[in-house]
Amino acid sequence: MSENPTPSGVRRREFLKILGAGGVATAAIGCSSDRVEKLIPYLNHPDETVPMVSNYYASTCRECSAGCGVLLETRDGRTFKLEGNPDHPLNRGALCARGQAAVQGLYNPDRYRGPMMRNASGRLVPTTWDAALKLLAQKLGAVQGSGRAGSALFLNRHESGSFPAFLDEWLAAYGMPAHLSVDPLADNAVIAANRQSYGVSWPWLAFSAARLIVSIGADFLDAWGANVPQQLEFADARARLADAPRFVYVGPRRSLTGCNADQWIACRPGSELAIANALSGRGSLDDAATASDVPVATLQALKAELTGTRPPLVLSGVAAGDAMELALVVNELNKQLGAVGTTVLPDRAITSFDGIATDADVNAAIDAMRAGQVPLLMIRGANPVFTTPRYVAVADALKKVPFKVSFSSYPDETAELCDLVLPDHHAIESWGDAQPMANVISVQQPGMAPVYDTRQTADVLITLAKANPGIASKFAAPNYMRWLIDRYPGGSTAFTLALEKGVGTGAVAASPAPRRPAVTPKAATPIGQTAGDMYLVVYPSAALGDGSGANKPWLQEFPDPVTKICWQSWVEINQQTAVKLGVDTGDILRVETAQGAVEAPAYVFMGIHKDTVAIPFGLGHTAYGRYAAGIGVNPGDVLPAGFDAKSGAFAWTATKATVTKTGAYTPIVTTEGSARQHGRGIAQALTVQELADLAAGREKEKVEAMPGMPNTEYLPGLRSPMAADAQGVVSSDIKHKEQGMYSPDHWSGMAKRRWAMTVDLARCTGCQACVTACYAENNIPTVAAPYQEVHTAFLHGVAGGNILKGREMNWIRLERYWEGGEDGGDFEARFVPMLCQHCGNAPCEPVCPVYATYHSPDGLNVQVYNRCVGTRYCSNNCPYKVRYFNWFGYGEPARPQYAWPERLSWQLNPDVTVRGKGVMEKCSFCVQRIREAEHRAKAEGRAVRPDEFTTSCAQACPSRAITFGDAADNDWTVAKLALDQRGYHVFQEQLNTFPAVVYLKKVNHPAPAASAGA
Amino acid sequence: MATVTRPDEDVLRLGPNIPHANIQLPGVAEYEQVTREIQRTLYPTKLWFAGLSFAILCMLIGAATWAWQVYMGLGVAGYSPPVMWGVYIVTFVFWVGIGHAGTLISAILYLFRAGFRTTIYRCAEAMTVFAIMTAGLFPILHLGRPWKFFWLIPYPSWRLIWPQFKSPLVWDVFAILTYLTVSSTFLYIGLLPDFAALRDAEPRPLRKHIYGVLSLGWRNSELEWRHFARAYLFLAAFSTPLVLSVHSTVSFDFAMADTPGWHATLFAPYFVAGAIFSGIGMVFTIIIPIRRWFHLKHYVTLNHLDAAAKLCLFTSLVVGTAYLTEFFIGWIGGNSIEQSYWWNRVFGQWWWAAWVMLTCNCVLPLTLFVQKLRRNTTWLFTLSIFINLGMWFERFVIFDPSLSHEFEPWQWTRYAPTYVDWAILLGSFGWFTMWFMLFIKNFPVVAISEVKEIVPPRLRTPHPVEGIEVTGMHLEFEPETPGERD
Amino acid sequence: MTKRRKRVVVPGLAALAVVAVLLSAYTGATQQPDTVIKDRGSWGYSAGSSPQGRSPIQPIAFPHPTHVQTLGMNCLYCHFSANKSPDPGMPAVGTCMGCHLVIGPNRPAMNGRPARKSEGIATLQKYWAQKKPVPWVRIHHVPDYVNFAHMPHINAGVTCQTCHGQVQQMNRVYQYASLNMGWCINCHVGNVNPKWKARYDCSVCHY
Repeated sequence: MSENPTPSGVRRREFLKILGAGGVATAAIGCSSDRVEKLIPYLNHPDETVPMVSNYYASTCRECSAGCGVLLETRDGRTFKLEGNPDHPLNRGALCARGQAAVQGLYNPDRYRGPMMRNASGRLVPTTWDAALKLLAQKLGAVQGSGRAGSALFLNRHESGSFPAFLDEWLAAYGMPAHLSVDPLADNAVIAANRQSYGVSWPWLAFSAARLIVSIGADFLDAWGANVPQQLEFADARARLADAPRFVYVGPRRSLTGCNADQWIACRPGSELAIANALSGRGSLDDAATASDVPVATLQALKAELTGTRPPLVLSGVAAGDAMELALVVNELNKQLGAVGTTVLPDRAITSFDGIATDADVNAAIDAMRAGQVPLLMIRGANPVFTTPRYVAVADALKKVPFKVSFSSYPDETAELCDLVLPDHHAIESWGDAQPMANVISVQQPGMAPVYDTRQTADVLITLAKANPGIASKFAAPNYMRWLIDRYPGGSTAFTLALEKGVGTGAVAASPAPRRPAVTPKAATPIGQTAGDMYLVVYPSAALGDGSGANKPWLQEFPDPVTKICWQSWVEINQQTAVKLGVDTGDILRVETAQGAVEAPAYVFMGIHKDTVAIPFGLGHTAYGRYAAGIGVNPGDVLPAGFDAKSGAFAWTATKATVTKTGAYTPIVTTEGSARQHGRGIAQALTVQELADLAAGREKEKVEAMPGMPNTEYLPGLRSPMAADAQGVVSSDIKHKEQGMYSPDHWSGMAKRRWAMTVDLARCTGCQACVTACYAENNIPTVAAPYQEVHTAFLHGVAGGNILKGREMNWIRLERYWEGGEDGGDFEARFVPMLCQHCGNAPCEPVCPVYATYHSPDGLNVQVYNRCVGTRYCSNNCPYKVRYFNWFGYGEPARPQYAWPERLSWQLNPDVTVRGKGVMEKCSFCVQRIREAEHRAKAEGRAVRPDEFTTSCAQACPSRAITFGDAADNDWTVAKLALDQRGYHVFQEQLNTFPAVVYLKKVNHPAPAASAGA
Repeated sequence: MATVTRPDEDVLRLGPNIPHANIQLPGVAEYEQVTREIQRTLYPTKLWFAGLSFAILCMLIGAATWAWQVYMGLGVAGYSPPVMWGVYIVTFVFWVGIGHAGTLISAILYLFRAGFRTTIYRCAEAMTVFAIMTAGLFPILHLGRPWKFFWLIPYPSWRLIWPQFKSPLVWDVFAILTYLTVSSTFLYIGLLPDFAALRDAEPRPLRKHIYGVLSLGWRNSELEWRHFARAYLFLAAFSTPLVLSVHSTVSFDFAMADTPGWHATLFAPYFVAGAIFSGIGMVFTIIIPIRRWFHLKHYVTLNHLDAAAKLCLFTSLVVGTAYLTEFFIGWIGGNSIEQSYWWNRVFGQWWWAAWVMLTCNCVLPLTLFVQKLRRNTTWLFTLSIFINLGMWFERFVIFDPSLSHEFEPWQWTRYAPTYVDWAILLGSFGWFTMWFMLFIKNFPVVAISEVKEIVPPRLRTPHPVEGIEVTGMHLEFEPETPGERD
Repeated sequence: MTKRRKRVVVPGLAALAVVAVLLSAYTGATQQPDTVIKDRGSWGYSAGSSPQGRSPIQPIAFPHPTHVQTLGMNCLYCHFSANKSPDPGMPAVGTCMGCHLVIGPNRPAMNGRPARKSEGIATLQKYWAQKKPVPWVRIHHVPDYVNFAHMPHINAGVTCQTCHGQVQQMNRVYQYASLNMGWCINCHVGNVNPKWKARYDCSVCHY
């Protein structure tokens, strides 16, 4: 981290951002160099940095509670990309979409620029830190003086590590009770059950050890638990192909996790416990069947399979009044079936969720506020006004608190109601640590100097304490960093070592404070007894989590992995029910409960039980910035008060609702065209049986020889004349033909390589982390914010306008095709990442009149932005439709469509051109990384090493499904994978395009009884 | 001793079914009358000024909208990827097509000595030139970065980069420019003697001077006529292959692509037939009002229209056959992707466009089998409007359903043009009409010299047999050379 | 007749000439890579798309000859990252002050040379006193769609002077080369020095 971030760093980005315009200006006035530019040097050069060369600072991701390790890619004093830390035991180098998007939180245009204070007229106005701190100190003094310190409150967004301990120490010093650690996404019921059964809050789930996975509503690939490690494990399990576990998903709604299951058992919400009892032999199958609306035979078969398969892994993750009971039953079941110790590993427990306050505790605290018992409220990170269902009326409760302090960095609903805002650093600007697993400390360090005039809360608290003569002695450390180092096991040396890898060993300081007395929460009424004609399921959105992601354009434009809807809320409704109600996709439905009503367009969906409607949680903000406010609806508005009495977990699935058709209509903002493959073999799959046949050579891979095709021995899958040329396979055939750079004997040796990619569909879960990774690496604009005017009738200022026009720019997109299910029965979801195939015979290349796209000798299909005149012929001719056009000046600050309002532009990758208006763009196989690696190799006087680098998507993928490399060099992993018997090309048979992307067929595990083909 | 006979009554009645009859102009008695009546059309009228200013208004609307589009980006138009080509390319091909009838009529029919062309070819040729001028705008104004259009033109550059000669779009550049050059030259050469005639007949000094300049000093000498005839014949022969090649090249923009519905060997002949069909449609749209307003009914006679209508009917049948062939190939090809596309074209989201096309181009023209309708100018005019509409929709149906229903089902989409697309389409009509308006009041809309060629000459001496007026059919007396007396 | 022809021909040719000039101006077709127009002032630049020969006034008239020739300093001493980064690196003010804390603006007369007062050093020290960086004016600039990296060139043995000219002799630095694409390619294909041949397809620099 450099003390004085060089302005030239800023300039570079400012200028990259203008670049689109630059290109245009170049064209318009023939010379872009007329600007007088300044070269601003450092005043003093920071030792560890080299201009335009990235430093990577190991740190910890704070986007959710899991605490994955990240590397902050920092250049010239700006952190512009987050990458997974390979040395971290939790995420092993992978990173989910929410983690990737942290930088957009850092540079968020709507962040507080500095401290804010409520003035006489009751409006929040900027103030100075001195004034703000003076006011807070005085209020603290007053509270202490009045002797009511004991009932002051501190709500902190949950994070594992030392901070909770520090915070409680500080509060104790002021005579205040321990803080409440808030995480709306945490499954309190399962945590409580795990504590009871295993003594740990979250045992390690070893999917790869299991032979059968049964998940009862546990969305371990969405937002349930620590999803990155879970996804890594699950993908590893699936990668065992024939030996891979069969996966059965039981639940009312087919989530992303459910879509990865081989079988989906649709049950009524609230009936999961009955099913679990039946499976574990506690209850009868018939009761379960009647309660859950599942055929007895199905349950019978599942039970038989469960008892017959060793070891299985059973998970439960419902959010209902009986959640903990269910979890306990499931844990028992795991014990019975010998899963504990093999697939459920308490001794490798994930400790990130320790210390989370239950929803009931938070609720009690809010009640205390409403009762006017709270003299002082401090909130950091948490946003209860949004995340707590409206019945709680948090806003009213807050009004009863005489003085409220927010440490939020963003103008969220809660902060807007506070009297004093002391904006916290973003995690990327702060020091800290986390304890993701026992004896593992994940350290957190800043990647750069603060973007705005913010201060890390811990430092603020220390400053306050120092100012208070009574307790100054307790806080000797000058700042939180020193405080951390002092407490760090092994002291500063160990700390410094840990900073290099990002992880250290040992245990962080534990909180001295006593546990708060358990409250007895209001038990939820059984969902069956609530009024309404449909069960209402509210689930956390995959991208936006508890709504904290809603102010990040990447996550707003991130299509929901299952429904592919973005910038919008929707109501999922079963197709049979929809026919009954005469509802079609886009019809606005009114979902009404005793607590209120929300209206959102219907999404007709096969994957939801016919008595059920589902609404994602996370949208419907009223504040929180330009990307969040006023988009979608908040289903929390219609939820009743109700908790799991045992664990104090909030019951999200707690009520029925009356669903009526309003008659209004709004188009669904989706990236989906047709959800069926129409037999075109884009996403292909095998059953285990077929795989065995293939292996045994009983079913040969069909390879039709075509004239002029080089020997098929060479790299099956990459049999492109171009590639073959590059390898000199057919160079002899081409007589007297000057191949130039494309000749393998050419002095440049350019044609020696063939960059290629394999995508293993057996591993891919469709999580779309690759999509966000691509946005982050390649300066891809988001195009559909409400302010990004489309200038078209009916789309005026509509969120998602450009996406309704199909103008999303996702260079890599996840296509989700349905197989079967037309009859309303079970169906299969197939995910296929579609990106530029870098065809050997690319149809786009010969049609470009100006050579703006051409084939580089090392196998890249190159798009030259500054040469493109925008005929768009290449896109017409691209069968994969992976070329994206700049319909507006997304890169030009002066325009309404500008995608990076101050200071999102600081995130732009300096290695990648920001495309101007009117040019075509597409996946480049991260050519900037290729060149960087080549330059590095040259500087070190060596060749590029096998697997030395990879593309952004492959690097982020938490399923390890994508492999990139040089297919012409057998030392690269991709060269081996390209030879896999499951490999196939999309549209190769129809079009002879010879793509450089090899897809490896998905492997399905049909039910043992009926092994019907997939 | 020449045998002297009365002119054949049938010949004088000029019944439609007498083969050579339709070249006759019974309403035209003598050369001076031709010059006089054509020159008369060159006096601007209020109606004309109104029309011209309306055309210019439309053009300005289009121009302003385009400026807005260039500033904002192509997003203001209705494109929804993967439909990357929309109304602009549709309109481009539409105008190129219009541009084909002119050369066909003036060149090919000239070589075939089809007499009925004589009075309509001047309008048709002017139409060709202006249509190409209009068409040529669209490839530029649909670009993402129109100010870079010259990169499509091969010129020596410091960057040492040339255009991609494999790209049909580059071929387009050559095709359009060639066609524009040749057809405008052809038009001008044909105009030479007429300029001379007008120069002599024009009372208004300024115009007289301008016609003088334009006639390049035509003195009506034997030598000049010989050169003229040769030049004209040569150009006719030279532009004949262009009629076929230019639109074939344009069709390659699509036939060369792998897009379902485009990738067909049929495209070149199919496009040429369509082009000629649409061109003749447009000829009717233009010539019928002109002969009415300019009182030229005795020049552009019903027989001429009748003959042209037959040509129109024929091309319509060719086009219809092409449509059927497309569907047939789509079906028999057995490619499921093609089949799904063809099904979508006729019964899918764009069924209505497809049926508009089929109705206007295949069904309505069948009425031309009826002679009454062929000779009914009102019906011909109405039909020609339908044909123009139908041919625009033909291009729309070829391009946009294909792009919106391609290989990748995930990217299937809808397409709806916006006010920008429509305004620019309007602008193109304004631009075309503006030029044509200017043309008809400054240049002869009917070829004076060629008409004179088919007007029977006055005889030098009164006919020996009294009672026989000199406007007979027989030519055994040497006619006086046009302009000899000047 | 001839008069009439003139009336047509003269404007026609004029128009053609204008177009030709504009085109060549844009494409820089009229340029040679080694022509240098010196001292055109901070806004002056040669014909063509490139501000070749442009030599802006710098906040400090930094004398390269003194430092390189007289004192024999290596380019990499100040432009420290040219061989290990795409960016050559501008010396931090601290780097300058490393010497100029000692070497002040006023030099007494010594070994035969008269005393002199250096404006430049005075200005430098003023910046340093105010803790302000020196706002140098950029001379060599390529558009942002060109990803030019110094490191591989230096490591391939291309000397600084090849592209920047004899900077060690320039009292005021000017843009030596046109930096046009043709100029780059000319070297990449080996016309300048066969040893420096490098791949020359678009994706080497444009991405």
